[in-house]
Amino acid sequence: MTLTALSFTLLFVMGTMLVSIWQKLGLEKDIAVGTIRSAIQLLAVGYVLQFIFQAEHMIYVVLIIVFMIGVASWNAAKRGKGLPGLVWRIAVAILAMELLMMGILLGLHIIKATPQYIIPISGMTIGSAMVVSGLFINHLKHEMQQNKGEIETLLSLGATAQQAMQKVRARAVKFSMIPTIDGMKTVGLVQLPGMMTGMIIAGADPVIAVRYQILIVFSFTASAAITSMLLSMLIYRLFFTADLRLKLPGNVD
Amino acid sequence: MSAVFEIHNLAKFNWEAGAQGESRYLFSRISAEITKPERVALIGASGQGKSTLLRILALLDIPDEGDLLLNGASFKNSNPREWRMAVAYVAQQAVMLPGSIEDNLRTISRLHGQPYDAALGAQLMEQLGLDHLDLAKKAEDCSGGEKQRISLIRTLLLRPSILLLDEATASLDIDSTRKVEALLMNRHKEEGTTLIWVTHDLEQAHRISNRTWVIDKGGMQEYSSAAFFDQPVGGAVHS
Ligand SMILES: Nc1ncnc2c1ncn2[C@@H]1O[C@H](COP(=O)(O)OP(=O)(O)OP(=O)(O)O)[C@@H](O)[C@H]1O
Ligand SMILES: [Mg+2]
Repeated sequence: MTLTALSFTLLFVMGTMLVSIWQKLGLEKDIAVGTIRSAIQLLAVGYVLQFIFQAEHMIYVVLIIVFMIGVASWNAAKRGKGLPGLVWRIAVAILAMELLMMGILLGLHIIKATPQYIIPISGMTIGSAMVVSGLFINHLKHEMQQNKGEIETLLSLGATAQQAMQKVRARAVKFSMIPTIDGMKTVGLVQLPGMMTGMIIAGADPVIAVRYQILIVFSFTASAAITSMLLSMLIYRLFFTADLRLKLPGNVD
Repeated sequence: MSAVFEIHNLAKFNWEAGAQGESRYLFSRISAEITKPERVALIGASGQGKSTLLRILALLDIPDEGDLLLNGASFKNSNPREWRMAVAYVAQQAVMLPGSIEDNLRTISRLHGQPYDAALGAQLMEQLGLDHLDLAKKAEDCSGGEKQRISLIRTLLLRPSILLLDEATASLDIDSTRKVEALLMNRHKEEGTTLIWVTHDLEQAHRISNRTWVIDKGGMQEYSSAAFFDQPVGGAVHS
């Protein structure tokens, strides 16, 4: 696809902006900013990846993964305003997930240890872990607010923070995994996943593309489970004071 | 098991402080001492902070000033879990934990790894007129009055030395109310449990207490119940 051809897709964006102006949706600005941002980000990533693939040096792979985890954690932490120290906790959870996943995928020679495999697969699992973390935190806050009576009752009976939070935590972990699990059930039936579509368009054999997609789907599920369970262990204590009183963050959306 | 419990100059700031005519404190300079098993009625108009005071005594909320001592040790140096097991709060709004009635009754044994005394559980259920209930029933499906009694039993199984009762009979009929009173009086007599009992029912306060704490206008006065109920002191109580 040439750049000229690519630029014609801007017609979609312009059409949407016109509709927004016409219907007074007030979205023109967000659409414009979003378009420019995504174009710049993706083009930049293209060049970065080109550079890394040519450089053939693992340090760049590590750097880009660290960068991905940083952005993902920072973004997911926005869901938890009022919870201090959330960013690094999310980063630890995602990092642990990434190490575990890559350990398995590379250790068992499921994928080749080259940047061409490691970076896209890491990117996708980290991205999914980010969504799961955001959902988990959002739902945990909501559950805490809804069930503060339950938690205080347990505290008043001499429970530890962990005991008082157990049910609420389990519910939030479960909730955060629902989209991943639902996605797994309908994948291929409702929508062809982006990676598979991309490979097919680029000329790969659909059967091979599907194999990689299966790998991704399984990785997503595992990464969702690992991330949200680790995260729940790392953050439940944030909802209590040192002297074991319930402390809820002020604003909940 | 009895405990020595001291309240020294306790105060809680008012959230609304600063607004027109609002005082700085919800209550302040509250002091009291319990050196032997007692039955205290805590009375006062709605919104005076009775529940807040009980929650502070159970360390579910924090005092802004003053100190609390249990057997000589300040709350600041105490393990909150041990404290709450000795000074147990039964909330005004009974909250059922997820699961069956039996799951609720087993909470203490589950939390603290103690064997569950099924016989005692059954006995308490019977004494409070709940023996007709199927223990496998979902606790959430019980009536308000049933929940209130279940939550009381759940806490009694903890065998606290000080029991903080926040309107423990508020949604009960006369018959069940009397059963709860009898059970708690018995606990007090047999095990030396101190009762600190918030109630709006002055006759109940009279029946169950030997001391009366009146919380009013941000302060607390203490009376002997005998003297207090024989000649009520002013309108505060009746408002
Ligand atoms: N720091 C504070 N902590 C708790 N409540 C506060 C505080 N400051 C102001 N308040 C207000 O004081 C009142 C305290 O309510 P509380 O439940 O303790 O009263 P109560 O005496 O138990 O009333 P009731 O008899 O209706 O149960 C509430 O209206 C609450 O909003
Ligand atoms: Mg109250």
